[in-house]
Parts: sequence; structure tokens; C-alpha cells
Amino acid sequence: MSSASGNILELKNVKVVYDNVILALHDVTLKVPKGKIVALLGGNGAGKSTTLKSISTMLASERGKVTGGSINYDGNAIEKQNPSQMVNMGMVQVLEGRRCFGHLTVEENIISGAYSRKLSRGDINQELEKIYGYFIRLKERRKSQAGFTSGGEQQMIAVARAMMAKPKMLLLDEPSMGLAPQLVAEIFNIVKELNEKEGVSVLLAEQNTNVALKNSDHGYIIETGKVMLEGSAKSLLNDDKVKELYLGISKEGRKNFRDVLKEESKKKSKIKVN
Amino acid sequence: MADQLLFFIEVVVGGLLAGTMYSLVALGFVLIFKASATFNFSQGAMVFFAVLAFVGFMQDFNVPFVLAFFLAVGLMVIVGLCTERLVLRPLMNQSEDTLLMATIGLGYVLEGLAQAMWGVEVRRLDLGIKDFPIPWIADNLKLFISAIDLTAGIVAFGMIIGLSLLFKYTKMGLGLRAVADDAGAASSIGIPLKHIMLLVWSAAGVVALVAGMMWGARAGVQFALVDLALKALPVLIIGGFSSIPGAIIGGLLIGAVEKVLEVYIGPFFGGAIEGWAPYVLAIFFLLYRPEGLFGEKIIRRV
Repeated sequence: MSSASGNILELKNVKVVYDNVILALHDVTLKVPKGKIVALLGGNGAGKSTTLKSISTMLASERGKVTGGSINYDGNAIEKQNPSQMVNMGMVQVLEGRRCFGHLTVEENIISGAYSRKLSRGDINQELEKIYGYFIRLKERRKSQAGFTSGGEQQMIAVARAMMAKPKMLLLDEPSMGLAPQLVAEIFNIVKELNEKEGVSVLLAEQNTNVALKNSDHGYIIETGKVMLEGSAKSLLNDDKVKELYLGISKEGRKNFRDVLKEESKKKSKIKVN
Repeated sequence: MADQLLFFIEVVVGGLLAGTMYSLVALGFVLIFKASATFNFSQGAMVFFAVLAFVGFMQDFNVPFVLAFFLAVGLMVIVGLCTERLVLRPLMNQSEDTLLMATIGLGYVLEGLAQAMWGVEVRRLDLGIKDFPIPWIADNLKLFISAIDLTAGIVAFGMIIGLSLLFKYTKMGLGLRAVADDAGAASSIGIPLKHIMLLVWSAAGVVALVAGMMWGARAGVQFALVDLALKALPVLIIGGFSSIPGAIIGGLLIGAVEKVLEVYIGPFFGGAIEGWAPYVLAIFFLLYRPEGLFGEKIIRRV
């Protein structure tokens, strides 16, 4: 059922509007090759979450709408599906801010991820054991109320819960948010492991450019709802503009990407004139 | 002195048993509040609609008791289905106030529908249980406890236990608790909200039917049941809108307190204070502990 190109997900010139007036995405075009991890990078309000939600069809519940372009997942055009249909098609989003069910136990949280699958008790237990193999920490805390677990554990719960739906593709929205570097590394390791062993394709939105690029195959940088730059993770990590804006400290203080590109084009045109 | 103490216990026990019925109705409110974050003003109309249909099946069509009960249950599930389809789904993603207004409208529709189908006169409902003290308890414990109060208490208690088990151990129950905690996250992992809504509204309908039968057996099946169900409002304010244990304890508390106040303080006001005393209690709670005894968050609506 996969598209001929070998991409599990393709977005072409996607445009999103909230409340019929607020333009959140101008023009987003991106691809996620099957079995790869792709990072979607950018600052606050750049449109990372909106992009993910337009794919998982969670936009509707926030009064957002895809008004232009096309989204193609696993050979199907995404138009009128609802989130639960998307989950059945193997696409699960892990929302920003973890969003665990605080009053449920850790184990109940994880089991709830299998809601869309028709599994017997025995099958569920088997799946659980497999998931606990990746999230060893959660096994120790299986009976605790999720609301009382740490931020890192909650992020793991959210990913584990999504994995219980047996997804072909995961959308991760800022898994590093508010976590200590050590925990961020731990979570990215798990994501990589899931990607390698379970063959899950991943599109992850991140502000933590460094960690995200180090753990992915390909990256896209978006700003104000537009893809500004794309490339392999390695080339982006070594790109001067990315280094200056997202990884290191600029000599001339803070700037946004658009300004840098403008300056560059100015320089180029000046050279031409001269 | 011993007699006075015994009388006090009798009043409290009677109040607690009556309170289980408030708990039951409040439970219907809590279910819907948890799942759709709205106060369901049509709950009272659902009580009236359900029990009137039940009595109507029995008296107009001579359907036997058990069959009439299941027909009424089926009817309430259909009401739940229609509510999800015709009211909740078109209003999805609208503000909570919109939903609140919709439940008020739904209440009027149900009231009108019930009376159009089954007529407006007060109907008697005989469950075969008398509103007299149970002789065995009266003889052995010297407590006068009405048979119908005790039955209602046991039935309500049984339903509460049953619903709690359903929520704790079934897949649907897990889904409901997930939706109640975070509907957005629940839908992101593929829990279909419409199934959960259907479950919740059907469960609330069945709860309404049972509550209506108990009240109807005592006071007759009549329009006043709609307002009686609103007694759950102070229960919810005291117990907390989003807490199932809160609804249960709040109901028991209201039941006991209103009876005690009626008996001991009522005479100073010329009696009949149990109609409004719970609301006074609720006002104190609103002033000093607006989230209720067990509420999870501050009440924003109603």
C-alpha cells in the first residue's frame, strides 16, 4: 500500500488556517521516507505543531483547516479522515506537553493506546511486555498514578502509549520539552531503537535542534509557516546558517532566518552589480 | 435518652437511604460532565421520560414488568444515540456554553415528547414494595425504616458498585476515564469519542430510569420528577462535579443533612425545609469551597 516513491508521508504546499482567518502555515512541503527519522525544526510559533496536527487530522478539534496543498500518507490522500481513522491507518501523534491521563495508572495509560486494536487480554499483556522492554523505567512504576510520575516518565508514557497502537508512523511533538539533557538523550535513544527495531517512521518537531539533528536522518527548518531550509541531518549540522541561528551564538546578536537569507541575497546581488 | 438517640439514628439512616437516590442521579450528571465537560440540564427530563415510558409500557400495553424495564432501557439507549448523533456531534468543538444551552433544549424536547406519547396525568407505579417500616428491623433493632427506602438504597448502592466496576475493568470504561482526563489526548491515540459519548449518555439514561422508578413508586410518576432530579445540583456542588466518589458521598450527605434539619430545625421555620435546606448548604460550599469536597478543578459553569 505504500506509495511508489518510497515515502510514507508527503506534504505538498500545505496551507493551514485557524478560525477561518489566522494563517498558520503558508507553504509546507516535506517528505518522510519509509523507516527514517525526519526532524522538523523551528522556533516558537513557527508552525511545527500545526504541521503535525494537519497530518494527524487533530486540527479540526482546534478549529484549524487545511485550505491548500495536499497530504499523502501511505498512498492515501488525507482529507476527511478523523484522528481515530488515522490511528487505524497506523499514524499516531504524541501531542506536545505529553498529555498523560493523570488519574490512570502508568499501565492503564499504556494499555489505553491499544484501544483501537481488537486484542485479547493475553495479547495485550504480550504487547505490554514488549513495550516494557523499551521502557524499562515504566515497568518499575506500572502501578503508580501517571499524574505523580516525573516529566521524563510522562514523556515515556506518552510514547509507549502511542506504540501500543502499533503505528507505522509516529509524529512526536517536542519530546524534549522541559526535560533535563540526560533524559532527553534517553528518550531519543528509545525513539531511535523503536525506529530501528520496529521499523517505525518518525516525524519529530523539535526546538532542540542539536539533539534532534543528531538523532535523525533528514531535517527541515521552518519559520513563520514556511520551509526555509532542508537537507540531510549531517549537512544541516554543518551548515553555517543553521549553526549561527540554531546551534551557536551569532556574532551580531539574535536574528531570524528570513533576515539571514535577505542579507545573503543582498550580498549576492551586490556582488553581481559590482 | 435512649429513645431520642434511636430516633436520631432512624432519621439519619432514613436520610442516608434517601440520599443514595440523590447519589444515583448525581452520578448521571457526573458521567456526562466528565465526558463532555458540560452540565446536563436535561438529566431531570431524562428521569421523567424514562420512568414515564416504563410505566406507559406496563399500563398502556400490558407489558410485563421485566420486559417493560428492558424496553425502557433500550429506549434510553436510543435517546443516548440520538443525542450523540443529533446534538453532540454537530456541536463538536463548540464552546461549553453552547453545549450547556443545548442540554436545556434537549430537556424541553424530552419533556414534551414524554407527555405527547404517554399523556400528562400522574400515574401510579407499584413496584410491590410498601412505604412502611420493615417489621423485622422494627422489632429487633427498634428502628423504623421504610421498605422502599431500604430497597432504593440497596438498588442505588448496587448500581454505583456496578458502574464503578464497569469503569475500572472494561475497555469501554478505560476509554471513558481516558476521555474524562484528556479528551484531546484520548482522540490522538484513536479512542473514538462518539462511542464514549454514546456509552455515557446511555449509562446516564439507565441511571435516570432507575432513579425515576424509585421516586415514582413513592410520589407517583409525574412532572415534578424533573425538578426533584435537580436536587442533584447541591449534591454536585458539595461533592464536586467531576468526582464519582464525590457524587456518592455528596448524595448521602445531602440526604442525611436534609432529614436531620427537617426534623430538628424544621419546626422553627414551620416545616418543609428539606426542599431548600440543601441549596443553602450548597451556597455555603460555593462561598468557601467552590471545588467541592472531591472536585478536581474549580467549577466554571452553572
